[in-house]
Amino acid sequence: MPQVYNWQLNREMEYPYQAAFPQRQFAFVFNTNRCLACQTCTMACKSTWTFNKGQEHMWWANVETKPYGGYPQHWDAKILKLLEDANPGGQVWNKQNGAARFEGMTIFEAGKKKLAPESARVLGYLPEDHEWNSPNIYEDNPKGIKGEKYKLDTEGAELPVHKTWFFYLARICNHCTYPACLAACPRKAIYKRPEDGIVLLDQEQCRGYRKCVEACPYKKSMYRGNTRISEKCIACYPRVEGTDPESNGRPMETRCMAACIGQMRLQGLVQMNNDGTWKEDRYNPIYYLVHVAKVALPLYPQLGTAPNGYYIPPRWVPRPYLRQMFGPGVDQAVERYMHPDRELLAVLQLYRRSNIIIYRYKLEEGKKIYEGTLRGQPVSIYNDTVIAYDKFDKEIFRTTIDEPVFERPALHANSI
Amino acid sequence: MPYDEPDATDPNMLVGVELPGTEESTRDMAYVFAEEFARLGFEKRRLMSLFKTPFYAGAHRAYLELGEAEIEKIADECLAIWGRVKFVDADTNLHSA
Repeated sequence: MPQVYNWQLNREMEYPYQAAFPQRQFAFVFNTNRCLACQTCTMACKSTWTFNKGQEHMWWANVETKPYGGYPQHWDAKILKLLEDANPGGQVWNKQNGAARFEGMTIFEAGKKKLAPESARVLGYLPEDHEWNSPNIYEDNPKGIKGEKYKLDTEGAELPVHKTWFFYLARICNHCTYPACLAACPRKAIYKRPEDGIVLLDQEQCRGYRKCVEACPYKKSMYRGNTRISEKCIACYPRVEGTDPESNGRPMETRCMAACIGQMRLQGLVQMNNDGTWKEDRYNPIYYLVHVAKVALPLYPQLGTAPNGYYIPPRWVPRPYLRQMFGPGVDQAVERYMHPDRELLAVLQLYRRSNIIIYRYKLEEGKKIYEGTLRGQPVSIYNDTVIAYDKFDKEIFRTTIDEPVFERPALHANSI
Repeated sequence: MPYDEPDATDPNMLVGVELPGTEESTRDMAYVFAEEFARLGFEKRRLMSLFKTPFYAGAHRAYLELGEAEIEKIADECLAIWGRVKFVDADTNLHSA
């Protein structure tokens, strides 16, 4: 197998194809500290792409409650166990030589060791129907009255009370740099677009072998029974291209991003180097959050697909769990996020101020307007202005503080 | 949620596992929600309603566990800093671009 460089693991790894990288890469940063599991993103995606017959079980965008929940059920616990079985005790990060390096096996490397026949390239598993069919079973869902369809419970619904810590994990396809779905497809029906790195599945080529469903560790490739081919998240590519009528020619964020009421989603397009690392783009907000502030981390980087979905970890969750989920950078990320500097605070204000993709931001510094403490830690607020620019370097919006805000009158409170 | 009582012979039945967490986890979570949403411009009434609404299970759990007085104290502490500033957005005209 060819060797490719995976910067998230800080080492080379095996991958069935030679490395090839897009000019820009679709990437996003989700702030889990803000997610309330309202499922608005889930429904925005569902009502746009997967509302047809045969797609009932498909949720390209979903929000699950961690540590218990998962769609399909226990997807992460299952793939982590498969890897542990393949490499007992060896799935570790080595931080002795400065930067952390993953010393364990990726799903590609473990696949070579564990799988037969040789044509199988990726370690994975095929979820059963019941694992797909109840995306949030036993999670925080109110229940209706038994046997009464389509009726509200007039007594109200009682929610289960967790006895432990938990948080909400919003997920879409990570449009990985080394996609497992692409690696596993015997038909070469899955490809990565050179212009934006979006991973698409060619439905003319697909024959429904479900190798991609089996291989994707995040389980974001899904089989459709009535067409007998697979489907996956397309990153709302007409919007990202700027060809959606609503975008008016300017690249626009996906439906799930645009719908987020908790303002926890930011999406962008980062520039790539020839070796798969990100080209320095200091004032691209995604680049800043991942590579400068280092508060956003990839989801299960040890799987080896180099996912392009990044997460600001939840501050209140026990660190060992977070280290397993987001890698060794968790402690630094949480500390920096808990005590943000003025640039990080400004960049966080870019979240959901516009649906147009931000290519660049500029910070205009203002004077200090407040100094105090929160939970014993010093906090300073500056009257800074952050300005966002689009693909054509035209200003999209600017956000500043300490000025009056317009409130929608009660008469039009819900109008769009 | 399922309608019936769990069937002990069902291999897919939920098996509860207690995960390590401290009492402070709930307080930390309440602080995070209060701070994040205060930063987004929520005033006291909206912030408290976020905790009081059962639909937002995470925030509501903290409200039930810690009590209204404690949540109000947390909200006040966060609003003392973030409630004093207002964020204002100025959009450029998208269609003139």
